[in-house]
Amino acid sequence: MIFELMTALTVGALMFGTGLYGALSQTNLVMIIMGVELILAAALVNLVAFWRYLHPDEPAAQMFVLIVMLVMAVEMTVGFGIAIARFRSRGSVEMEEARELKG
Amino acid sequence: MTGMTAQMIFLAFFGGAAVWFGIVVFRTHSMVRSAIALLFSQTAVGLMFLLMQAEFLGVLQIMMMATEMSVMAVFMVMFMMDPGGMGAMEMTHQKRLSLWAGGVGLVAALAVIWLADWGPVVPNIPGAAQQAADLGRELLGRSMLIFESAGLTILTAMVAATMVAIAPTKERRK
Repeated sequence: MIFELMTALTVGALMFGTGLYGALSQTNLVMIIMGVELILAAALVNLVAFWRYLHPDEPAAQMFVLIVMLVMAVEMTVGFGIAIARFRSRGSVEMEEARELKG
Repeated sequence: MTGMTAQMIFLAFFGGAAVWFGIVVFRTHSMVRSAIALLFSQTAVGLMFLLMQAEFLGVLQIMMMATEMSVMAVFMVMFMMDPGGMGAMEMTHQKRLSLWAGGVGLVAALAVIWLADWGPVVPNIPGAAQQAADLGRELLGRSMLIFESAGLTILTAMVAATMVAIAPTKERRK
């Protein structure tokens, strides 16, 4: 049964690697948000796998999953709020054109 | 074929689908296809949850992500210069660094997964109704403060994001 745990964790690792590549390589804000969503989905897979195979009697583990889902929703809300503001002021959400944010 | 073996095969299948659609997100030039690929990836993750007998979380994941990704597809069409991908625009930078970072992250995670001692695996879990009842008691008991803080956080984020997104009026511009 340990192999089911390993399979789920390996899927999580692959999603994490893909999401990290996407978040770093994309120039568009919405695509960067997609990369971060993949990273958080990887965290979700790991949390559910840990709950199912190691601590199924602990409901607090499911609570962590709900918190990560909340982080995904908040990240999208704030990201799209910034995207709209940026699009209104500059007409683009390309991060290559946002160098002035460096200060 | 035992039940557990079937579970592993389906976990690998849906996991493979989740990873494959995750890769498609960054490979296609069409932004709408990217959003739909992410929707499929997140749905496959939800199906993995169902396979791992987390019924409530699986259904929640599929419902939440279907809504989120539909909204994302709308934003893609609104904000992208070439949402259909017909112009095959290059929208990446620092590709080599990103590949290295993703690769190193993946190898490090795989090393931890395959080298760590995870201890004994528990074969039996509570039924779906018992899980939901336990989670409800957890949310309204020991974790109530965290749960309430989470609700307040998302409300604050919604209000703040709406305020940031509202077009400035003439008075505010002055």
